[in-house]
Amino acid sequence: MVWSSRRLHIVTGKGGVGKSTVTAALALAAQREKKRVLVCEVTAKERVASLLGAPDCGPEVKRIDESIWSVHVRPAEAMREYALMVVRFRAIYNAVFENRLVRYFLRAVPSLPEIVELGKVWWHVVKEQDEEGKPRWDAVILDAPATGHGISFLRTPRTILELVSEGPMVRDMKRMQAMLTDPALTAIHVVTMPEEMPVNEAVDLHQAIVEMQLPEGRLFLNHHFERRFSADERQTLASTDDGALGPSRLAARYWGERQDLSAHYEARLRREIELPMTLIPYLAAKEFGRAAVERIAEIVGREG
Amino acid sequence: MLGEVLESRRVVVCVGSGGVGKTTVSAALALRAAMNGRKALVLTIDPARRLANSLGLPTLGNVETRIGEERFAAAGLKPSGELWAMTLDLRRTWDDLIERYAPSAERRETILHNRLYQALSTGLAGSLEYMAMEKVYELERAGGYDLVVLDTPPTAHALDFLDAPNRLLDLFSHDAARWLLGGALGAGRVGLSLVHLGSSYILKTLARFTGVELLQSLAEFFVAFQGMYDGFHERAKATKALLSGEKSAFVLVTSPNPLTVDEAVFFAHELKRSEIHVAAGIVNRVHENPLWQPGATDAPDIARALAHERVPNDGRPFLSERLETTVTELSVLAQRDEREIERFHEATGGAFALHVVPRLARDVHDLAGLWQVLEAMHEHGGG
Repeated sequence: MVWSSRRLHIVTGKGGVGKSTVTAALALAAQREKKRVLVCEVTAKERVASLLGAPDCGPEVKRIDESIWSVHVRPAEAMREYALMVVRFRAIYNAVFENRLVRYFLRAVPSLPEIVELGKVWWHVVKEQDEEGKPRWDAVILDAPATGHGISFLRTPRTILELVSEGPMVRDMKRMQAMLTDPALTAIHVVTMPEEMPVNEAVDLHQAIVEMQLPEGRLFLNHHFERRFSADERQTLASTDDGALGPSRLAARYWGERQDLSAHYEARLRREIELPMTLIPYLAAKEFGRAAVERIAEIVGREG
Repeated sequence: MLGEVLESRRVVVCVGSGGVGKTTVSAALALRAAMNGRKALVLTIDPARRLANSLGLPTLGNVETRIGEERFAAAGLKPSGELWAMTLDLRRTWDDLIERYAPSAERRETILHNRLYQALSTGLAGSLEYMAMEKVYELERAGGYDLVVLDTPPTAHALDFLDAPNRLLDLFSHDAARWLLGGALGAGRVGLSLVHLGSSYILKTLARFTGVELLQSLAEFFVAFQGMYDGFHERAKATKALLSGEKSAFVLVTSPNPLTVDEAVFFAHELKRSEIHVAAGIVNRVHENPLWQPGATDAPDIARALAHERVPNDGRPFLSERLETTVTELSVLAQRDEREIERFHEATGGAFALHVVPRLARDVHDLAGLWQVLEAMHEHGGG
């Protein structure tokens, strides 16, 4: 229960490795522990709600399942919320921030989208409270932007603090940095799959996490092919030429090579990344939806 | 269609969402052109090591690197053209551009030493896209290559890529900066003080948000950028004309994953709306269906066939049962993929030919693998 006791879970990895699936599975796993969960998707497209069979949420926090809420964090809306917190009056906000030219100008502020998105996450994790004054969420699960952007996303507070030394932004960046680096509060997870490029990116990402001294979570190896055929069986099957074994030969060859890759990259990841690893089997589901996510939730929950 | 595109166009732009194997496909397309006698360059703007991986190179700088004959020989290939590759170094391309357009050495130094410049040049939204297009334009104009294949960064919207120059130019336009910075800008002062900023209600409010310091650096940056706008503007216009013109072709890459197909459909509509013609679609990593081959598919039949071939039916579960499971699972995946390809085809109204790349058993990250991708690529369903 080392990592699941933390409140903020940041799910990172290359595009297409299944970050949203792992995010959805972590949400279900936390739900099973009777936690009140908020999913924050800081991605181009919202995915978690539909994976769990619920309609998309958009920029408002909406309930998508028993004790699971979700929100799609988008820069434009996050910007408005953040700016309104600073200037407090909507009239001033409209006059200044909705101004077309100001908008151009604000585009030049480095990392502004990341700042406001992270600011929103910070508010949900650290500030938001229930009626009894306790943190409103037991678990906030953040589906982070894909690797390249993911690293710059996590680096934002540091980047800004290097550029600016005074003003309200500095105070906010320090708060965000404190949240991101607190090992009692936050865990950064890495998702990858057993292929060359996703594994390289996972290694890079993990190096960046270590270098930034961010609290480490788990490594999820998705699309993992279990060892199903022995070398002997594969060799013998490959040497047959019976027509009746056509489908079997193709299936065994495909699976066999994929199981080799899985074993190879699993070993490499264990050598190069010092994180506890969870293997997520490749699921041959007719529709990749709720049922598949439930199965993965069981696996990630078991090792929490 | 794809063959004709690779033979006759000067620029091929591969667009698509992240994680679909766009970099691999881009490299494979350049390889095909090189095999057919063209001098082809593949340009990636991905900050990761993907392209270097797929060409079996340890590193790729901001320099054009030729893929050596020995690599081709090792993969059993004999190209009649040349294959070159490069990864865009964002910072360096920006620096080059500043060097080119700065009206004076002093102005150039001011920009290069601006505290915000580094963050701006690598962090500004649209910056990466802009510089990639800039580089493609430069390479095409220099005429050193018959074909440049551009692997674009994964963006949420296909048009983010095309609009990047405009958005960036808006930022640097006289009007925006002059209006915001008022008199300070008109006077051409570089060392802007708080007094100048403080005169505007809007700037005061912004300063509460960003802090005065950041705003000052920004203002300094904008002031320094004055006079460079026209150069940028001309260049961006020419680049856009090149990419939407006859010399260029767009290829839309996707995987058969339902979520990425949704995105690809969305991309296709966006491109159409801005009157950009998609020359071909490529669906990458499609599962092959074992049921396309005649033969046994359930455990008892497989067991009989194994006995006939004297293959021991051992293990737990028995080999025949494991084979049945694997055949069934793979065919489920293949059917799922087939449905998605059909859906993609229908949603785009058959506007462009779809090419399918089977999901290869091995992992693609060298020339031999890229060649295997090309060999396995075929047009979808003949229509």
